[in-house]
Amino acid sequence: MIRASALIAATLALSAPGLAMAQIAPEVGASDTDSATVGVIGNVPAQCYGGTLSGDGSLDLGVLIDLTTGRLRTDLATPGEVLVGSFCTSRSTITVNATPLEAQNFTVAPPAGFSRRVHYLASASGWTTTPASYNTATAANAAATQSRDSAFTGDITVAISDFSTDGGETLRLVGDESYRGVVTVTLTAVN
Amino acid sequence: MNCKYGLALIALVALPATAAAQSTESGTVDVVGTVRSICILGDPTSALVDLGQLSAASGPRTGRVAVIPPQTVTLPGSFCNFAGSAVSISATALTAADATNPQAGFARAVNYTATATGWAAGASLATTGAARDGTGPTAEGTGATQPLPQVADISLTLSSFTAPGDQILVSGNYSGNVIVTLGPAIAGGEN
Repeated sequence: MIRASALIAATLALSAPGLAMAQIAPEVGASDTDSATVGVIGNVPAQCYGGTLSGDGSLDLGVLIDLTTGRLRTDLATPGEVLVGSFCTSRSTITVNATPLEAQNFTVAPPAGFSRRVHYLASASGWTTTPASYNTATAANAAATQSRDSAFTGDITVAISDFSTDGGETLRLVGDESYRGVVTVTLTAVN
Repeated sequence: MNCKYGLALIALVALPATAAAQSTESGTVDVVGTVRSICILGDPTSALVDLGQLSAASGPRTGRVAVIPPQTVTLPGSFCNFAGSAVSISATALTAADATNPQAGFARAVNYTATATGWAAGASLATTGAARDGTGPTAEGTGATQPLPQVADISLTLSSFTAPGDQILVSGNYSGNVIVTLGPAIAGGEN
């Protein structure tokens, strides 16, 4: 019986290489684990948002003249307006443009000694190191556009100052209940 | 010495049997083979999910992540021929191609939840948790164990797209991916 067991063992041993070959046979690459990759893509366009005005959107200077002289007051001032939550998602430029304060009802050329226009300096600060500024009295306004090299979000303060009478400080302003100018701040995304 | 005696005994016993030969005799040949454990995932119906614009173009959420509907990709006819398999997911958040650390208030990552259903009771899911600078974008999860060999369509759904801190997204192209793996369940691997 011991001998018989030995013979059987030998027979099994001979068949073992056959089994080994059967295990190699399945197709190359198949395994008990498989994986697949799904890519996900999207984009965010360069975009700017001007924010929301903190006030009513008006810079009200009140009475423009010194009532004793009829000339432009030298102490004109008004709190600035703030554009809250402005942002650009890429590099950007900020540009300020402004139109002088003009009499809205007295629209004809003023008589000698009078003016119907007040100039000022408009500035937008908070976006760039150097505020963008525009003086309505000046033909060239190199500082009107400033660049920023990164995406940014923050508040932009719009202020006006440096008032002057068109034609010279000696001129008096024509009487008008409405002098009006416009300051425009533009954010532009730069790719 | 003992071996010689043994052989002699076998011969003595065998001879009478030969003398009594029968007309029919049968022998047995074993046929053996193996079936290797394999899992195969079906080809994804879409290997690339394009979410388009990720940020809202207008309205109160301008610049922040838009409402992006869930996206589903199917891996049809996926199978494992053995009991005890599970689906694992490795999801990587969408991050901007520009790796620059974003300015305060901005994020360069969009997180989401990847969910695989159709394989076992309960889903496999992973929710990415990238920081606003895009670090730590990958999350992993493993679903319940399928106790039987299984053939099924696996649905992969991407949903709940968010930006870290709901911050404004910097502009650029964004990409991420989801790796779905089907294989033997690992004890304690369920989420």
